[in-house]
Amino acid sequence: MSDTSSRLPVSAGRSALRGDLAIGVVFLVCAIAAPFVIESKYLIGQLIVGLFWAGIAVQWNLLFGYAGIFSLAQMAVFAVGGYGTAMLATYLGFNIWLAIFCGAVLATLFSMLVGLACLRLQGVYVALLTFAISSVVYLLIVTDTACFQMIGTTCRQFTGGASGFSRFGDFGMRQLLRGDWVRGNYGIVLAGFLLTLISSWVIIHSPMGLAFKALRDNQSYAIARGINRFHTQLLVFGISAFFTGLTGGLYAAHFQAIGPSVFSMSTLLFIMAIAVVGGTGTFWGPVLGTIVLMVADELMRDAGQFRTLGLGLLIAVFVVLLPRGIVGRLSDFLTTIRARRAAPQQGD
Amino acid sequence: MDVTIAILVTGLTNGALYALATLGLSLVWGSMGMLNMAHGSMLALGGYMVFTVAVSLGLPVWAGFIGAAAAGAVFGGLLYLGVVRPLLKAGGPGFETSVMIATVGIAIGLENALLLVYGGRPLPQPFAVPGSVQLGAGVMPWLNAVIVIVAFVVMAVMGYLIAKTKMGRAIRATAQNRDAALLMGVPVERTYLQVLGLAGALAGICGVLLSSITQLSPTLGADPMLKAFIMCVVAGLGNLPGAVIAAFGLALIEAAVQFALGARWGFPVLLMLVIAILIWRPNGLFGRAQIRRM
Repeated sequence: MSDTSSRLPVSAGRSALRGDLAIGVVFLVCAIAAPFVIESKYLIGQLIVGLFWAGIAVQWNLLFGYAGIFSLAQMAVFAVGGYGTAMLATYLGFNIWLAIFCGAVLATLFSMLVGLACLRLQGVYVALLTFAISSVVYLLIVTDTACFQMIGTTCRQFTGGASGFSRFGDFGMRQLLRGDWVRGNYGIVLAGFLLTLISSWVIIHSPMGLAFKALRDNQSYAIARGINRFHTQLLVFGISAFFTGLTGGLYAAHFQAIGPSVFSMSTLLFIMAIAVVGGTGTFWGPVLGTIVLMVADELMRDAGQFRTLGLGLLIAVFVVLLPRGIVGRLSDFLTTIRARRAAPQQGD
Repeated sequence: MDVTIAILVTGLTNGALYALATLGLSLVWGSMGMLNMAHGSMLALGGYMVFTVAVSLGLPVWAGFIGAAAAGAVFGGLLYLGVVRPLLKAGGPGFETSVMIATVGIAIGLENALLLVYGGRPLPQPFAVPGSVQLGAGVMPWLNAVIVIVAFVVMAVMGYLIAKTKMGRAIRATAQNRDAALLMGVPVERTYLQVLGLAGALAGICGVLLSSITQLSPTLGADPMLKAFIMCVVAGLGNLPGAVIAAFGLALIEAAVQFALGARWGFPVLLMLVIAILIWRPNGLFGRAQIRRM
């Protein structure tokens, strides 16, 4: 959808902006209305979770869909943001907002280091290196048993060990809104998500975004045309990590807990599935993918034990039948219709 | 002295298992540029097949081996027909990643299917060799010796198939240049089917051996698959002899680190080693820089 804007003349770019703006307004109205319409606290909680997944998927899409870097360290970056927030708030007594911001900065630094390590690698090797890095971090956290602090009679490891951190502060909505605190948290998380979404739109449509796409489509040609691969790749690792880390911090503050389970393969796969089902390299793909998969997941909740089986097969079926995802397919469809409408006038 | 023997026994046994797992992955990667994320769940499938054949049906254990290899081969073939062929037909530069994501979905599905059929309780493996032999100051269970021998026999058979048979020639030709092979009359589609079938059979046998030193569980293949990936990468993806060497080398290093620093550090040290190798040699130890098609 908006992805094609770069290949089209300026007027088409403007119409893409109008299209994205229209979809954005509809999305925003629905998102703002949701907490007032929906009564069930469980559903609002699920919406918040969906916003987290969508935020991570949007940033992964920037990295993979637009810059063509198949990174599997996305959940590790998210975890650095969350852990950074939790550890700064726990050990140094940071205010939660400051901790979230610092967590995001830490995630950026971490990701840029990963980016440095990946600089000479291509394709699948990037996937394996990033996967190895996040596995190392995960294993070192889970197997950490050395006592760092005694809390009452239990000992806490520096990294939180297998149980992670909890109760290090929240958004303060419980005091402010009491029973309605979930709705308050929803507002904050939604604001964070909008920030992520809008910034990724700006990046994709800026010269920087064009450089990402150029490197993705034909690296040698892009470099020959004067795009600095070193700067561009570090930049995309850093930018996507800042917002991923921010989402991680919000996640930690919303649940008031963060543990090693965020590293799990199944979470990473869920994020990838979201991007693939919605359509990688399309702006609205991750958002639509989140909606589709969250709804499918809720519907399959009744199927109980077949849920994971269904999710796995759903991913495979989507990749095989709709390789460009729902959004990619829709935009192809729209292009065909437009071409058909234009054809008779020229042909007759 | 007994520590050295313990390290050697553990390292060689694990090395043999990793080598088998790595071989299947590397074969598929080398010939079709596909990273098969479902390989680990195919190991589990093999392990469970020997249980079905030998325990539920009451047939002898060697029949279980054949059943495991056959089940793996059939699953590999189905994987090709259902997932890989349509993706290859769709073509495009996205094949590498899309096939990875699709096979990840298949892996989740297969692991869950195994969970639904056999239940989550770990099952004992019918293939077992009792007894052990004294080696200097150390002890070597016969089971470990049998695993290493079976693995070497399978590798020798694989080597023969690839190097000497018509099918092997077709596989190598397709791996070198798909279009040229197609023009020379190599049935590329059938070759791909054979490659995935072979890799599946390898995974099945590896699963049987693997589950004999652990227990049967649907996720039993996850950890060896991760290590097999690492070994593939260290060797340079698609390099079969390199993969075997890397498997044994890394398994010995892992065993040594586990004995020296404690079990906690075995895998992280391995991973850090791999990260260092990848930064130092981006195409693996034995890999050559490949020219990417544009």
